[in-house]
Amino acid sequence: MNATTAIPRVSLGWLLLAQALVLIPLWFHLPLWMCGLWLFCTVWRVQILRMRAAYPGRLLKVLLMVATAVGVYASQGSLIGLDATAALLVSAFLLKLLEMRSQRDARVLIYLGFFCIAVAYLFDAGLPWALYSLLPISTLAAALIGLQQTRLIARPQATFKLAATLLAQALPLMIVLFLFFPRLQPLWSLPLSSGQQAISGIEDSMTPADVTELARSTAVAFRASFDDGQMPPKRALYWRALSLDRYDGRTWTQSLAVQGQPVPAWQPQGPALRYRVLQAASGKPWLFALDTARSDQADVRQLSDFRLQRQRPVDQPLMYTLTSWPQALREPQLSEWARRAALQLGPSDPRSRAWGEQLKARFSEPQAVVAEVLQQFRTQPFHYTLTPVALGADSIDGFLFDSRRGFCAHYAGALTYVLRAAGIPARMVVGYQGGEVNQAGDTVTVRQFEAHAWVEFWQPARGWQSVDPTAAVAPERVEQGLEQALSADEPFLADSPFSPLRYRHLAWLNGLRLSWDEANYAWQRWVLGYQGQEQSNFLAHWFKGFESAMLPLSIVLVMALASLGVLRPWRHRPDPDLRALALFEKLLQRHGLQRGPAEPSLAFAERAARRLPAQAATIKAFAQAFNARHYAGDAQAGALMSVHLKQLRRQLRAVPKPTVQE
Amino acid sequence: MKWPWAGRWRRWQALRTPAAPRVELNQRRIFIFPNRSGAGFFVLLLLIFLAAINYQNSMAYALVFLLGSLFTVAILQTYRNLASLVVSSTGAVPVFVGEHALLTVRLESTGREHQAIGLGWSGAALVSVDVTAHHVEQVQLSLPTLTRGWLQVPRVRVQSHFPLGMLTAWTWLDLAQRVRVYPQPLPGPMPRSAGTASEPDAALQRQPGQGVDDFQGLKLYQPGDSWRRLNWKAFSRGEALLIKDFADLRSEPLCLDFLALGGDVEQRLSRLCHWVLKLSRQQRPFMLRLPGVQLDFASGDIHRLACLRALALHGHRR
Repeated sequence: MNATTAIPRVSLGWLLLAQALVLIPLWFHLPLWMCGLWLFCTVWRVQILRMRAAYPGRLLKVLLMVATAVGVYASQGSLIGLDATAALLVSAFLLKLLEMRSQRDARVLIYLGFFCIAVAYLFDAGLPWALYSLLPISTLAAALIGLQQTRLIARPQATFKLAATLLAQALPLMIVLFLFFPRLQPLWSLPLSSGQQAISGIEDSMTPADVTELARSTAVAFRASFDDGQMPPKRALYWRALSLDRYDGRTWTQSLAVQGQPVPAWQPQGPALRYRVLQAASGKPWLFALDTARSDQADVRQLSDFRLQRQRPVDQPLMYTLTSWPQALREPQLSEWARRAALQLGPSDPRSRAWGEQLKARFSEPQAVVAEVLQQFRTQPFHYTLTPVALGADSIDGFLFDSRRGFCAHYAGALTYVLRAAGIPARMVVGYQGGEVNQAGDTVTVRQFEAHAWVEFWQPARGWQSVDPTAAVAPERVEQGLEQALSADEPFLADSPFSPLRYRHLAWLNGLRLSWDEANYAWQRWVLGYQGQEQSNFLAHWFKGFESAMLPLSIVLVMALASLGVLRPWRHRPDPDLRALALFEKLLQRHGLQRGPAEPSLAFAERAARRLPAQAATIKAFAQAFNARHYAGDAQAGALMSVHLKQLRRQLRAVPKPTVQE
Repeated sequence: MKWPWAGRWRRWQALRTPAAPRVELNQRRIFIFPNRSGAGFFVLLLLIFLAAINYQNSMAYALVFLLGSLFTVAILQTYRNLASLVVSSTGAVPVFVGEHALLTVRLESTGREHQAIGLGWSGAALVSVDVTAHHVEQVQLSLPTLTRGWLQVPRVRVQSHFPLGMLTAWTWLDLAQRVRVYPQPLPGPMPRSAGTASEPDAALQRQPGQGVDDFQGLKLYQPGDSWRRLNWKAFSRGEALLIKDFADLRSEPLCLDFLALGGDVEQRLSRLCHWVLKLSRQQRPFMLRLPGVQLDFASGDIHRLACLRALALHGHRR
């Protein structure tokens, strides 16, 4: 094997290009200095090709390796976890360039490139990057083909074209495998993120500043699609993430007890909603659901605050199906620990507490207290804004009585505090409100800026009730969305001037954006979500009863078609004259006669005729007919040839075969 | 091949791909198997597959399936690159022992392009050629010669890794060629005897050995010299092995005679070969006498070739 031969120039060109293409999606997840390392290695390799530089020595190579590993450790904080592993892999991919001398080295580099593409999928397998990855894959294949080409003046385009052809021929089998190959459960659990890159989203603690942060992000949090015509109006879409029940004067957090307590009693009531949620990676274990939801997934359980939580964090897109009963009766009897948790108050904010106690004295019904506070929000000069003035200590007091400017977190926090002061168990709920409904009206896309906070209070016998104080101040926020709720002087998404979401008023642009969103969603749902349960559902729906037979059957079918398509046996028809001659020779070969390498067919016939005198006439006649047909182009001789050949075969059948060959 | 079934393997191979001067490669003759790069590719697939399973990543699954399918397509394509190629040989020019015989192998495309076809002997480096569609490429393979006589050309390996290099498609072809190998010329005194066949005075007593008329002096012994003229006395005194040299004064026709030489058969043939070449170069007519063969008094290329042929095939089946 010529593994040690030098790398053809064509292949090296494709290889360098492929490397650049493979790395593009990875740069979003790697430390920036690696970009410099890539440039350094590429320039060095090109200089080696131009005979202006030498390969690095052994000491230098070791130094480079150690330095890169140290650099990765310094910038990623560890050498394990996906980010750090990817950085190490990419540095191997880059440094291998400097010791690439033989074809075998080049092959190792190409294989590393394929692995880097797989790693890039782990970071982002969305539609745009998936489509993009076809480019580096075909370029790597072209480099692989280039390694085999011996031609001195090989045209690079031809190599790429061949690579694309091969990939196109591989596509049908790939689709069959993708559809029918059974997906396996993870063999061991791997941390997807090293924890360095936090994904912004709903956290388990909240200050108003966190919400301001989220209001700037257009990242998709999740998409939900409902069965036909079941989608509730936008103002009813309150997506619960989790509840926060502890307040320390600044920050709302959740008490640890929530995790350990049993799920309180609740009864499904009224109509049920069935929908499917495709959640983006959040790095957190909770799911997003309308109240009050149930999941039939094994690794998802309901906690004591009615949230749905998964065993492992959602560190890659996750699809799940939920059923919700919006009118469910939740926890009609409040346990003692839950009441204590829902009434806990810190020593801060004396004015708000005094107001709560005052309300407690005035109204006996919790419902009436809530109505009174909401009435205050509505009638007093409260203002909805994402840029409130800074509040000092006793922030709830400052908000309620002084600034009166704020957004959902301020209003929800203040209402919860006042209700607790009035002796009504209450807690803050965080999640998302609303979302963008697609043109077909069955799917809603919820983005990070739709993060929201609202309040739950408890009444005897009626259980937990939700109330949204923001709706009292800025009903547009709930009816239409954040953009409409903000006043004219406060621009929506001020930090991202090019976000297409800012240009929703341009109909054509908005239509384009929505179609792209749809395509992305379909990709996520049908391709990326094609795992485990989804696959068995699909197979059961289309191939009921034949699920297990589909894989071998379709592989055989596709392979047969591919063989026909690639080899094209009907294309190859040898000259009928030569075929007849070959048959003639074969007949005589059985009787120990072999035509010499340069022996003319007539001379051979003479020799054969001498050996087989009984068949001499036929043998000579065939040879003459062949010569007349093949060399003189006599059209009638063709028929004669087959006649003589048949005759010869008949005659030779009677002759015993010689035991000793010539 | 040193493994225990080598003999059985060769017999099976001979049965499957019988010797023929012109062979069109087809599924009966082409073998195909993943090579080391193919094994490396499988390791790569396994690693991506593990990542796909553990991260439940559909795209990583898709990549494994795509690359796996690419591999199966490569099986077909690698086979296709070799299939329908016509390999033939027009034989090799005869050579002298020690020289390299050059076997001309023709690669002929019957319709499609064949890229990076390797040709060569077992265990030797392969020559790589591209055969464009409907064209013929000629490759010369050199073969060392060690013994005189017929050299049976071993099986020629024709192989290809193209396009992806992960698979090797190959065949071993016995192109039914043999090369005539002449003895290695060995200089030395002329091994002549009196010509008898073509001369009228054939009754003259045949003089063994070289010229015996005039003693010229002593010469160092060379292999092929007649032992009868060895200077044993000097040798027994511890001097070098010398031979008495006589000049031939008679202008009799030259007859190179196998029996006029002593020693090993091959050395005798080598000496005769030297003289055949030398006399032909000088365009002097001569005759050659070998046991059982006698070539008449003549000169010229045809005579020279006939003599060389007789020397090469001395003791061999024709």
